Amino acid sequence: MNVRSQIAMVFHLDKCIGCHTCSIACKNIWTDRKGTEYMWWNNVETKPGTGYPTAWEDQEKYNGGWEVVDGKLRLRSQSKTKSVLNIFHHPNQPTIDDYYHPWTYDYQNLFNAPEGPDQPIARPISMITGQPVSIEAGPNWDDDLGGSPVYAENDPNLKGLSEEQRQQLSAVERLVFFYFPRICNHCLNPSCVAACPSGALYKRGEDGIVLVDQTRCRAWRACIAACPYKKVYFNWSTGKSEKCVLCYPRLESGQAPACFHSCVGRIRYLGVLLYDADRIEEVASMPAEELVEAQRSLVLDPNDPEVIAAARANGVHDSVIEAAQRSPVYKFVKIWKIALPPHIEYRTLPMLFYVPPMSPVMSNRGDHTVDSATDDLFSDIESARIPMKFLGNLFGAGHDGKVRYALRKQKAVRWYRRALTVGDVDMATVDRMLREADTTAEEAEAIYQLTSLCTFDERFVIPPMHREEALQMLDDPMEHKQAAGFGFIAAPKRGV
Amino acid sequence: MRLQPPTRLGLGLALGLLIAAPTAASAQDAAAFFKQNCTSCHTIGGGRLTGPDLKDVTKSRDRAWLTDFVLAPQAALDRGDPYALQLQQEARGVVMPQVAGINRDLVSALLDLIEAESALPKSQFAGVQVSDRPFTAADVQLGTELFRGQRRLGGGGPSCVSCHTVRGTGGLGGGQLGPDLTKVYERLQWRKALATWLNAPPTATMQTVFAKTPIAETEVLPLVAYFEAAARNGGEDDRAGLIQFVLLGLGAAALGLGVMDSAWKTRFRSVRRALVERRRGARS
Repeated sequence: MNVRSQIAMVFHLDKCIGCHTCSIACKNIWTDRKGTEYMWWNNVETKPGTGYPTAWEDQEKYNGGWEVVDGKLRLRSQSKTKSVLNIFHHPNQPTIDDYYHPWTYDYQNLFNAPEGPDQPIARPISMITGQPVSIEAGPNWDDDLGGSPVYAENDPNLKGLSEEQRQQLSAVERLVFFYFPRICNHCLNPSCVAACPSGALYKRGEDGIVLVDQTRCRAWRACIAACPYKKVYFNWSTGKSEKCVLCYPRLESGQAPACFHSCVGRIRYLGVLLYDADRIEEVASMPAEELVEAQRSLVLDPNDPEVIAAARANGVHDSVIEAAQRSPVYKFVKIWKIALPPHIEYRTLPMLFYVPPMSPVMSNRGDHTVDSATDDLFSDIESARIPMKFLGNLFGAGHDGKVRYALRKQKAVRWYRRALTVGDVDMATVDRMLREADTTAEEAEAIYQLTSLCTFDERFVIPPMHREEALQMLDDPMEHKQAAGFGFIAAPKRGV
Repeated sequence: MRLQPPTRLGLGLALGLLIAAPTAASAQDAAAFFKQNCTSCHTIGGGRLTGPDLKDVTKSRDRAWLTDFVLAPQAALDRGDPYALQLQQEARGVVMPQVAGINRDLVSALLDLIEAESALPKSQFAGVQVSDRPFTAADVQLGTELFRGQRRLGGGGPSCVSCHTVRGTGGLGGGQLGPDLTKVYERLQWRKALATWLNAPPTATMQTVFAKTPIAETEVLPLVAYFEAAARNGGEDDRAGLIQFVLLGLGAAALGLGVMDSAWKTRFRSVRRALVERRRGARS
């Protein structure tokens, strides 16, 4: 058992209101520099929709992530031979048009335009070339189902849906969508790290944050092609790849990442998971239908004395183990099992989990009355407007069993709370419901607390990062002692 | 900077040697120089090639005129010297080139050499003796094969076609590095001159290539026969060939792009634009 710690995340989609505050917070801190205008390390997508970059989930086109060939994991985007053959041009690069062409407006023209018969206007100007551009797309062009016939109808997650289901999704009275905020998943088996020919990408040992070493990056852009979530971006100005850093400077000083901190709907949770690094390859190469359960089995119980001993032996600090025991992510993922990884079939083992969203019921009956009287208490989950198959494609590698389990439990929690606060449901029905949803009143109460009444400190259990210890593994902090005063790396000396 | 006496002495010696070197041109040096620079156009007692036979030239013209002419042939023409103009006419407009490294002392040594060789019954510079027999079809055939490299040159040198072309070589034509040799038979003035050229090519490029791998005498005649036939049949300027060449290039490029397009059929193409355009197509 090779126990390591990982900062993991949960996004509760049932709470997301799609306000993009997270995106703006991230943009203002990290990607308002030259060359990063088009990057959105955090973005919020509308589902159904094609997202950003367009149709990033379609790996038939983008060739990201891993595939299993003869029982062995293999990168889809390249092999050793292919990386040499394609050394001057990686064929699986998204174009700027697939992201969007970043623009601003020529506001000066409103003030400086010569007097004339027309009102001066602020024309859109490319932030890359500085030339006037015609705006064709933006990073959330398909927001709230905008441009559905082009975007929503081409959502790769619609695969396997019947023609009737597809039409219902776009029927005017039954329109439905939910939001899908995305950041880098800081995967356990990151394909971007595996693909880099320069070894510039690495997964930080102490917390599992995946980073790009800006001095070692040689602009091969193999990471951009390899990441199935398209969360590594190329800075055209510096010629280096960049990606979400999970605000590690904030984490190291005990603050939540900017997108977490600013989240209006408080949908984001962050905490430590302990996992068994020896089993990553074995888990990542399992059959698709077993992947969700297998990834859960990687996550270890932080209260198990054996795990604690193994973690200590691996240099995981006691304070980190303690944080893991209080981790909200551990509860959502491992105990309650209502948070699921996105597209685990890419086999990168993402460490960002999503609580699948509830959606309105298909209540379109012939005689204008809604009939909800049925013996099956969970029938409305099956007849939800968002087809179960769709959620299964997104969160269950095409299998909806795990999604159904999570939604039933969420519904049971709602009914349990309704019985307590409104009182129009009798407790016997609720008990039956809790039983059928594989939960208890205590668990339902805990889920309710962490979902609805969670405080800042409950949502973000940030362990002390112990950078000083991590640094000591690479550098000797005493190296420059007595060699220089404050602010000098090279000691000042006399003479010219 | 003041030089120390030994350095000054050394410098003086070096300068003296530099000045003395050309004057020390011996008869042997002159012979080597003549062989290298003059024999492709001139013989001594072997008849005219591109330039006139030099036998007894020192008797027909005075040495001062000869020296001035050899030093600067173009200048003599520019002056309007009647004899120089006559020579140019006889050489079908070819002007004697200014030989690299020539100087007054060397000319003097060369003229001495010509005088001495003219007195001999058979000069070593009588030139290559080429058979006068008429060219046969077999000669032309062999010459064609040698030129095109279908048959290797005996000496191991590269075949002509790698640098030269002759109209009618077909397809992509020959090499473009050296000049077009279609009219070389007329340009160098006939059989003897061309044979001499081939025997010991005088230009810097040809010399480098063929110095160690000379063209055998048995190969020279067929090549001359081939060039003769080419000059006779080559016709005028070959515009059609140029157009054919360009079209062939364009066709090959298009074919190559087509092959690459199908080889990388599954390559990444724009995703978003394709979605938008597909929708536009469906609507219209």
